[in-house]
Amino acid sequence: MSDTEAHLKKFEKELAAGTVSLVLLAVLAAAREPLYGYQIAKRLERDAGGVLVGKQSALYPVLRNLSAAELLDTFVEPSEAGPPRRYYRITPLGRKVLREWADAWGSTRRFVDSILKD
Amino acid sequence: MSTPQTIKQYLAQLRAALAGADPAMIQDALYDAEEHLRSELAENPGMSEAELLAKIATTYGAPDEVAEIYRTTEKTVARALRTPRPRPRRSLFGRFFGVLADPHTYGAMFYMLLALATGIFYFTWAVVGLSLSLGFAFTLIGIPFFLLFMASVRGLSLVESRIVEGMLGVRMARRPPYVERDRPWLKRIGAMLGDPRTWATLLYMLMMLPLGIAYFIVVVVLSSVSLALMFTPVAMAFDFFGFGRDFINGYVTVDWGFGAHIPGWGDAAAMFVIGFFLLFGMLHLVRALGHLHGALAKHLLVKSARV
Repeated sequence: MSDTEAHLKKFEKELAAGTVSLVLLAVLAAAREPLYGYQIAKRLERDAGGVLVGKQSALYPVLRNLSAAELLDTFVEPSEAGPPRRYYRITPLGRKVLREWADAWGSTRRFVDSILKD
Repeated sequence: MSTPQTIKQYLAQLRAALAGADPAMIQDALYDAEEHLRSELAENPGMSEAELLAKIATTYGAPDEVAEIYRTTEKTVARALRTPRPRPRRSLFGRFFGVLADPHTYGAMFYMLLALATGIFYFTWAVVGLSLSLGFAFTLIGIPFFLLFMASVRGLSLVESRIVEGMLGVRMARRPPYVERDRPWLKRIGAMLGDPRTWATLLYMLMMLPLGIAYFIVVVVLSSVSLALMFTPVAMAFDFFGFGRDFINGYVTVDWGFGAHIPGWGDAAAMFVIGFFLLFGMLHLVRALGHLHGALAKHLLVKSARV
């Protein structure tokens, strides 16, 4: 049905908007090395099948804002194949914030699950 | 909108879809898109640009979708990150004293003091770089030196943009204009020389010397004069008769236009009032100049980009 599909799309978009910062912080916290935008997008594509994040272009402004808020570190490095790349790395502040966000996410999820069970 | 066949076309469509948006945001969006598309191209060497762009439309997003995403993100983020503007005050009284509570006032004041140092530095850098470039132009190191100098100018432009955004609260570009690395040097130099932003940035760097000196003088002179006037009563309270010891005949005299006399408490109070209004006048002036300078910086460092 196309009319329920429109509702689903809208809901998915709102969910993605609310969780994308948390997901990006988590990905960068788990990474051993700094990642650049394209790599992060590919990782999410592989792990989530694009369900969670929507269009990949939405990641870049969020990465920029996370680094403006000093949750991420960023630097540019030239690459031999292709354009210079902007790498991102999580900061100690970012890890601290991530722990708090993860707690908040956990309690939200438990609450939503308990409501859905009823 | 037809499906783009090349990265250039994709970027042109994205720029068209973002038309009317903040130029600083457009520059950032184009930079992000170009980095992503070229990474994708480098990952898939066998694929043609047209095939790749068809795939991109489902992952990264088609130009108009991307434009929409940037427009919405910008709105929400601006709301979350910016210093909230103080509630506009209605009364004349509120508007006059509100300047004290406005963070932009202090940002602008600090910027104007800093402008003396940055202005001297930018001016020196631009003049030395330009004259050395001219001097080296016909030697072996002419071209590498010029490219290096231009790269430093772009870098300084971003640094100044951060300072302006931080202190004056104007949204500036956070990413440099994209440089196409696969083109030959002479073409890149040609593109750089044809880019109005190159010249606008250099002009800005030259202008910062007189502007920086003027800003510094305005803040230092007006604040010291107004504070000195405001503290007259305090000085008098400490040492009423010795107040003018260092002046002619041992006394300082005051002349409001009705003949000179030795100052009393009334004069001190009048000086306090004058100093008080001068101080607030300076705060208003500083905030207004900060606003003007932000517009100038945005115009020369961001808006002059090829559109």
